[in-house]
Amino acid sequence: MSYFTKMRGHTQSPPAVGPAEVLWSWVGSFLGISAVGLIHYKLLDHTSLIMIIGSFGASAVLIYGAIRSPLAQPRNLIGGHVLSAAIGVTAFQFLGGETWLTAAAAVSTAIAVMHVTKTLHPPGGATALIAVIGGDSVHGLGYLYVLVPSALGAAVMLTVALIVNNIPKNRRYPEFWM
Amino acid sequence: MANEAYASVDISDADVMEAMKAMQGYIDITPADFREVYQVAYGLARDRVMKGLKAGQIMRTPVHVIETGQGLVEAAALLAREGISGAPVVDRDGRVVGVVSEKDFLRKMGAEPGGSFMQVIALCLQNKGCVAAPMLKRTAGEIMTSPAVTATVDISMADISALLSEKGINRLPIVGGDGRPVGIVTRSDLIEAFCRIE
Repeated sequence: MSYFTKMRGHTQSPPAVGPAEVLWSWVGSFLGISAVGLIHYKLLDHTSLIMIIGSFGASAVLIYGAIRSPLAQPRNLIGGHVLSAAIGVTAFQFLGGETWLTAAAAVSTAIAVMHVTKTLHPPGGATALIAVIGGDSVHGLGYLYVLVPSALGAAVMLTVALIVNNIPKNRRYPEFWM
Repeated sequence: MANEAYASVDISDADVMEAMKAMQGYIDITPADFREVYQVAYGLARDRVMKGLKAGQIMRTPVHVIETGQGLVEAAALLAREGISGAPVVDRDGRVVGVVSEKDFLRKMGAEPGGSFMQVIALCLQNKGCVAAPMLKRTAGEIMTSPAVTATVDISMADISALLSEKGINRLPIVGGDGRPVGIVTRSDLIEAFCRIE
């Protein structure tokens, strides 16, 4: 296959899901993001910066919308967020200054580490990035960022996924734990 | 080989799409990726079966044998009675030394190598007589194909298939360490074994 032929693509899109699947994806993500938002807001609003973790929106796509995906499994969800958060914080503390360089190093290293640890979870890239570009409030958290909001949020999202994804008869979650 | 004909029974994109639809939830893999995984896995499974299944498991027993000194009338009667188209020929010690099959009879009746029964019929009608008559006094040892192609019980299905098509033969006597027949595998035994798998 020539270089340019490859750019034409060679297969078709997977089939669309049925209405039930759409509904349960909606219910799951609504409840998951609500739970993360409420818990962070009620328990931790004195820091008022705990809602910042946008990568949970991306996690919701996977763990409520594509629940059979290897990327959406508990190992990947928790591992991906926690490892990437730690890498993001470390990158900022060591490199700091040049934001573009620190951001790039954080994300690329997070991807490499997630690969090696078999915890690849695309939103982890955002978690690592936010640790660098999240501003003073995030920087102020230091390594606490790994536990709150990252690990706590991921755990809450996982709990909702376990509860909601197993309600319909022909849906199940997870595919594996470890 | 008609490889294009085989491609038509291969798994199609439409098959994969149907399967993915039947699986409900969103599957984040393209139909082409699925097909590739399936094809590689299927190939491995087929190899495992073809290499794992041995002659000892699929061969037919007991083996009907013909002795070298046996007359052809008797040999032909045996093949007819047992409904088989060939049998190993054994020497006095019971060791396989050749194989007698319809092909050997046809050749003696004037058919060219690779010739058919119909060719013999045609000859028969042209000569206004039975072309089998000269075989009356002959023995199995005289018309058999030898040396015999044989194998032991541990030969795999894959190797049997290769051997049959390479040598252009239809049956493979399976012999023990002493050269005596313990079973026989024919093309139809291979097909039967393969059909049972799938």
